[in-house]
Amino acid sequence: MSELMFGAICFVVLALCLIIRLIKGPTAADRAISADCIDILADMALILYALYTGRGIFLDIALVTAILGFIGTVIIARYLEGRL
Amino acid sequence: MRIAIDILILISLFFAVAGTVGLLRMPDIFTRMQSSTNIGTLGVLGVIIGGTMYAIWQYSDYTMAVKIIILGLFYMITTPISGHALTKAAYRHGYRPKEDFVVDSYGEDLEDDD
Amino acid sequence: MKKTKFAAFLSTAIVCYLFWLVLTGQIISIFRGGASASVLIAGGAVSVLVALFSARFFIHDKAFFMFNPVRLFIMLFYLFFIFAWELIKANWDVARRALRPGKLKINPGIVKVPTGLKSEYALSMLANSITLTPGTITMDIADQDDKTYCYIHWIDVTAENGEPAGDAIKGTLEKWIRRIWE
Repeated sequence: MSELMFGAICFVVLALCLIIRLIKGPTAADRAISADCIDILADMALILYALYTGRGIFLDIALVTAILGFIGTVIIARYLEGRL
Repeated sequence: MRIAIDILILISLFFAVAGTVGLLRMPDIFTRMQSSTNIGTLGVLGVIIGGTMYAIWQYSDYTMAVKIIILGLFYMITTPISGHALTKAAYRHGYRPKEDFVVDSYGEDLEDDD
Repeated sequence: MKKTKFAAFLSTAIVCYLFWLVLTGQIISIFRGGASASVLIAGGAVSVLVALFSARFFIHDKAFFMFNPVRLFIMLFYLFFIFAWELIKANWDVARRALRPGKLKINPGIVKVPTGLKSEYALSMLANSITLTPGTITMDIADQDDKTYCYIHWIDVTAENGEPAGDAIKGTLEKWIRRIWE
């Protein structure tokens, strides 16, 4: 079912569009939130690719990326608030 | 079945496009955060539900389906936490939008505390 | 440091064990009748060990609150129907605002909204529900004169302060959350 692959490519293209905001973003919080969104979109592409190939190992990778992205965002927030 | 999964993935893609466009167009950090929640909720849920249906229907692989559901639950729990932390941190750090807020009770109450 | 109560420890251990069963896929082999006893006992030992250290972070007051089936049913109903409908409405609204060509139609502001909820689980659930709907983000929760206030960043301010803003943001959500937790 090749629609899964098209969906994954669309998600990757959206993530590449968000890199504009990552480079341009005037403040640090902008960069943090766009990095978080890139993480989520890359995870969606990983899920669709895992379903396309039928290999469950990509889902484990997606889980690890999700956890790391969440921890990174929260740590950047703590740092900006001045409590790290 | 196949058409239903396609429609779910298309819904997810539509909201992801809306969130991305919002993230690129919105004028300041707080409204950008609102658009990013758009990606984190319905942009995720369509792929999660569609992917679970596909894993059960095509592969009959329940481990994969359970893993996808756990990934979705994880997103539903962590997206509000990171959004809330980042918004509060940006406000406390001193970022303000170019045009002022319509009302800003938080700033008034913070000044009273200091 | 508060002392860990035994009831809190027990309920955390049960939740950990269920989560372990689902995450490792053992629950499927239990239904098929092919689960080996030593693996199940090893999982139980690990979940008891985890609960021993982490119970005091999770449970602060009544421990067996969520094992009541009526509350669990109301919570599932809330999550899958009421909250899902609010989520779809708000998502559509914000997506339309972002995709509209021309000048952006936004009107952002931070409003201060009183809530009537007391227990901390209910407050955190309300704050997470508000943040999860696009268009509103909870920024802080503060206690003032026996009442609890939420500071909410709102993308389209239609009511300035207090009760009308609260009705517009969390009208049905707060009623259902009170029914779950109190």
